[in-house]
Amino acid sequence: MRYQKFDMRKFAFILLFTFTFGQRLDDIDLAMQQLESIVQTASRSSQRVFVEDFTGLQ
Amino acid sequence: MLDDYPETLMNIEWHNPSFTPGNSDFDIPEYSSRASMYGVGGIPHTQWNGVQETVGGYANGNWQAFIGTFTSLYNSMVGEETPYEISINGYAGSEVSYDVTISMDADMSNSNQKVDIFVVEDNIWSYWTGASQYHNARNVARDWLTTQDLTISTAGESETFSGTFDMDEDWNADSIKIIAIVQNYVSKQVYQVTAVNINDMNPDIDDDGILNGEDNCIDIFNPGQEDYDNDLIGDACDPCDNLVYILGNLNGDTDENGIPVIDIMDVLSLVDFLIFDDSYECQDPILNINGDEFVNVVDVIALVQSILNGDN
Repeated sequence: MRYQKFDMRKFAFILLFTFTFGQRLDDIDLAMQQLESIVQTASRSSQRVFVEDFTGLQ
Repeated sequence: MLDDYPETLMNIEWHNPSFTPGNSDFDIPEYSSRASMYGVGGIPHTQWNGVQETVGGYANGNWQAFIGTFTSLYNSMVGEETPYEISINGYAGSEVSYDVTISMDADMSNSNQKVDIFVVEDNIWSYWTGASQYHNARNVARDWLTTQDLTISTAGESETFSGTFDMDEDWNADSIKIIAIVQNYVSKQVYQVTAVNINDMNPDIDDDGILNGEDNCIDIFNPGQEDYDNDLIGDACDPCDNLVYILGNLNGDTDENGIPVIDIMDVLSLVDFLIFDDSYECQDPILNINGDEFVNVVDVIALVQSILNGDN
């Protein structure tokens, strides 16, 4: 049975690759959250004002 | 101020039965219930968005001295963010039919949230004998049509309140408006208000030939009124039309032909529901896989078995 020698360089590359893209996904997620917040705020309804006047004249 | 800010300031005059113009019909029975809601004692009393008030200070309708106070109150409230928008449509004849639609663009609890709908008559030029003067009464309360619980609470949802009322022969039909508000009945906060002259209402918003009150998709053109699942919500606007959200397809996914796909992702959705108790509108009718009284882990097992057996 042949055993492959553990290749530290491959391991380091995979680790770096995973870490890099993991961070990149985080960036994208963060940007999407900011965009969502901006769109929601921009489209939020504005309050109109309602006055109830309890009145009378005599 | 009403004429200065016609789009953002709406009012209603509730006339104290003891202080109305001679021979007028300005006082209506609802005055007392509305006044007691705010603990109104002396008049004049103004209530701004239900939560700020002024009492006294301007006799016989000469409120000009209060313009600074009123403007300040208005400016402190107008334009604040609110999750609600209100549209009022309908048809005006001797009988007026109305559709008040509340839509939400942000989440807010519906606890104690209610919708009030009023009828007012604007610009009543009347002689007030006690004060010996003529006065242009604005938006005089004519009727308090209804108070209904608001059931929606999530962004994207909407709810329509429909009804009818008869026009009184003494009312000027050109000056009749409907006012609708969303108000919390504990805090008294008014979260949104809209007023519309009944002659400006649109009887058929989507122009599909079906009047709003009878249209199963009020704002989407669907003259055929197709409704596959007979839930009174037309297919054109029904996100849960039972074509995609069939039993077991909890995540609502489909293949390239639009056929629902039931797989392990639906099992995860069901587990999510059991753990977090968090479902959305379309899921509710399709969670109970085995059709018993409960949605529980047995439904998860039933769904897994169904997938493994290739039942779907």
